[in-house]
Amino acid sequence: MLLDAPWWIMSDQDAALSPLAVPRIAGPGSGRWPFGRMILEVRLDMPAWKQVVAVACSILIGMFISAVILVASGVPPGELVNEFASNVFDRQSFQAVLVQAAPLILVGIAASIGFRARFWNLGLEGQMVWGGIAATAVTIYHIGPEGLRLPLMALFAMMAGMAWVAIPALLRMKFAVNEIISTLLLNYVATYCLYDLLYGPWKDPKDAFPHSSLYASAERLPDIGHGVNAALPLALVLVLLVFWFAEFSRFGFYLKFIYANPAMGRLVGVPIIPVVWTAVLMSGALAGLGGFLVPSGIAGRLTQGFFEGYGFSGVLIAFLARNNAVAAAIVAVLIAMLFVTGQSFQIFYQIPFSMVQMIQAIIVMCVAASEFFIRHRIRLQR
Amino acid sequence: MATALELSSITKSFGDFLALDAAHLSVEYGEVHALLGENGAGKSSLMNVAAGLYSPDSGSIEVAGLRCRFIGPRDSMQHGIGMIHQNFKLVKRFTVSENVLLANPRGSFRNGKTAIEREIKEKAETLGFSLDPARRIDRLSIAEQQRVEIIKALVAGARILILDEPTAVLTEGEAQRLLAMVRDIAEGGAAVILVTHKLRDVKTFAHRVTIMRGGKTLATVDPRQTTAEELTTLMVGSHVVTPSRSAKSAGEVSLNVTGLASATVEGHTPLIDATFSVRSGEIYGIAGVGGNGQTELAEALVGGRQPSAGAISIKAPGSPTPSDITAATPLQRRDHGVASVPADRQALGLATRLSIVDNFAIGFVHEGRFGSMALIDRASMRRATQAAVEDFEVQGVRSLWQRAGTLSGGNAQKLILARELSRAPSIIVAHSPTRGLDVRACAAVHARLVAARDAGAAVVLISEDLDEVLGIADRIGVMTRGRIVAEFDAPADRNAVGRAMVDHV
Repeated sequence: MLLDAPWWIMSDQDAALSPLAVPRIAGPGSGRWPFGRMILEVRLDMPAWKQVVAVACSILIGMFISAVILVASGVPPGELVNEFASNVFDRQSFQAVLVQAAPLILVGIAASIGFRARFWNLGLEGQMVWGGIAATAVTIYHIGPEGLRLPLMALFAMMAGMAWVAIPALLRMKFAVNEIISTLLLNYVATYCLYDLLYGPWKDPKDAFPHSSLYASAERLPDIGHGVNAALPLALVLVLLVFWFAEFSRFGFYLKFIYANPAMGRLVGVPIIPVVWTAVLMSGALAGLGGFLVPSGIAGRLTQGFFEGYGFSGVLIAFLARNNAVAAAIVAVLIAMLFVTGQSFQIFYQIPFSMVQMIQAIIVMCVAASEFFIRHRIRLQR
Repeated sequence: MATALELSSITKSFGDFLALDAAHLSVEYGEVHALLGENGAGKSSLMNVAAGLYSPDSGSIEVAGLRCRFIGPRDSMQHGIGMIHQNFKLVKRFTVSENVLLANPRGSFRNGKTAIEREIKEKAETLGFSLDPARRIDRLSIAEQQRVEIIKALVAGARILILDEPTAVLTEGEAQRLLAMVRDIAEGGAAVILVTHKLRDVKTFAHRVTIMRGGKTLATVDPRQTTAEELTTLMVGSHVVTPSRSAKSAGEVSLNVTGLASATVEGHTPLIDATFSVRSGEIYGIAGVGGNGQTELAEALVGGRQPSAGAISIKAPGSPTPSDITAATPLQRRDHGVASVPADRQALGLATRLSIVDNFAIGFVHEGRFGSMALIDRASMRRATQAAVEDFEVQGVRSLWQRAGTLSGGNAQKLILARELSRAPSIIVAHSPTRGLDVRACAAVHARLVAARDAGAAVVLISEDLDEVLGIADRIGVMTRGRIVAEFDAPADRNAVGRAMVDHV
């Protein structure tokens, strides 16, 4: 049935074309195996604990495959275990993981809140870039008193992220432009804007490298002890805020219907346009804030590649966490471990950092495959 | 006549639910054998066993005297059984011949295609219609798509044809043509099993009928030797009472529709100039053959689609002036007391993947019931849903948090009615509210609509089922080619209404 207003909301069928969709096989089928016949049945339901077990097993399988590849590319098997274990047991590595986790948490919840509104925001990196630029603008033009610098930087970063995501959102709602493509391509636009600034007016006058001048100490996130900066508590507060928004607020209730059946939701009075806008702008704001946390919390300046890898990781975190904010925080910490381990492999064994992305991809594929077993049951019949 | 299919003592359970309880069915070549029963009686389950989709827990299947065991649909197809499902199994973007070829591989794709096209044309000619094998499925009407399904099964060599509720999606005329064609196929020597809950189809077109109730097959009888009352009693177990008509006490005009028109959509007669008014305390039935603008009218009334011309105004009881809602959003209309019971209840009535509680509560959250903007109140949602489920007799609820999609058609509709009617709406737009429901669920839906009318609501009942409109409407408008062409007061003469439905040019 054609209904005219929510046409820009994708139907289930369209969603199946999205990069996050999991293939579904309808109806039972059968195949012949040497030891009898394999019968595939569709499950009506699977208890939650079994689903957790299935996903956990698939993550283990993914990690095993990744381990085999790492060993094949020259990491001694013993070191592999040591490196991962040191994430938890070595104090310095653990600090690095926590520092790394904060921006990952932000992009993870940013992606998940967008996905909940069926807005496939693949432009997290572009929104981060603009968030970083806006925050750095505050430092360069000395906007506001020193005491208010950090909140101002955060605010500017969030506004910039929202502005950048508003472009594809507007294109989709007014002209039905697919946001998967527009958000992704706008990442490149944002990146070249960043390069233009860093190679031009914002180039560091001290060393003439393409990065901004070091932030003043009032513009850097304060240490809260044990080498962890304020980004982590901020991220955790935002996780709770997003969790509340999605699970307990009225807009969150509306979002469930926008995700499950937008045409029906509209007919029973869900105000689709304001709810989707709210979710999309939240997504952009959170990603933009992530673009403030990385330079201010880690490097202390705006660098050329501060955002790299976060966009993909954010999408992946949201997928693994099934768009749940609290789960996203947990997954983000695990991904942060992977990042930190990847960095040390890079230093000690010359393993390229892209290996980290490959491991992420392997785990995603394994989890996507586990969906098949969650939806189907295989029986053998002789 | 030789026995084509013999199902004996078939038992099948899903979890704790016994869907089939030692069911028997014996079908002969050359006959149209109807399988009659309420929704949930086990008709579709039994046919899915015959088609190899379900493997029975116990019981035996014999095709032409030979005992068989089906592991999958392909096995059953090899034994000459073809099933036409209620939801067609066609790839919409493929052509007719590609769809037939997909189900019946013939060597290489290119050679297969020419061969299959010839076969399709031959089969279509024998059945007495023409079909272009090169047309895409999504360009065909529902009736034509159904013919493609039948041809697909015949090309596969089906000698036993199972049609699951084939007339549910068709208009009256299309249904008659289909059933006549099916009878021809049977008289050509095939066995046809017609799964239905329409008594009239059974009486006119079936040679024999088997009645099912609660997973059991009760009896096999000759429909011409059996009265409709006897069949109904077998089907539902007890007499079903039709809602009694109360004295008319219609109030002032509550809904006014003038000159409503909709934009042209391919393949549909749009609304051209619909004008009518409905008073509070009356059911205004809109009768007509499907596809004459009813869908567009329903959508325009509830705000699903903007009309291209015309006006809709409503007058709330007590307010001095009517308000224009032509351009209002569905949300604004709900605030004005409009309730909607859509025809496509799975797609537009419920979010099938969400829980029963969610599906009930969504109708009320924006009014501020069930908590504030900041915090929704799940406990009170659950309590209100529990009360509504009991009040509206929604059955099959194991847990209020189960997905709404697990409810059967009748119970899903009761849940929708619970959401829409417990707000005491002043205007109710119900489009085909009993389509696909069994007799008992139909009666429950009608009783609810009548009760809402008696409580002072203005009810617009859009239905392609003339008996339904004649049965409960206080006034009847006949819709043809996008216009209300005639109006009748109840009790209306069936023939006069029927003539108005087809006579108008």
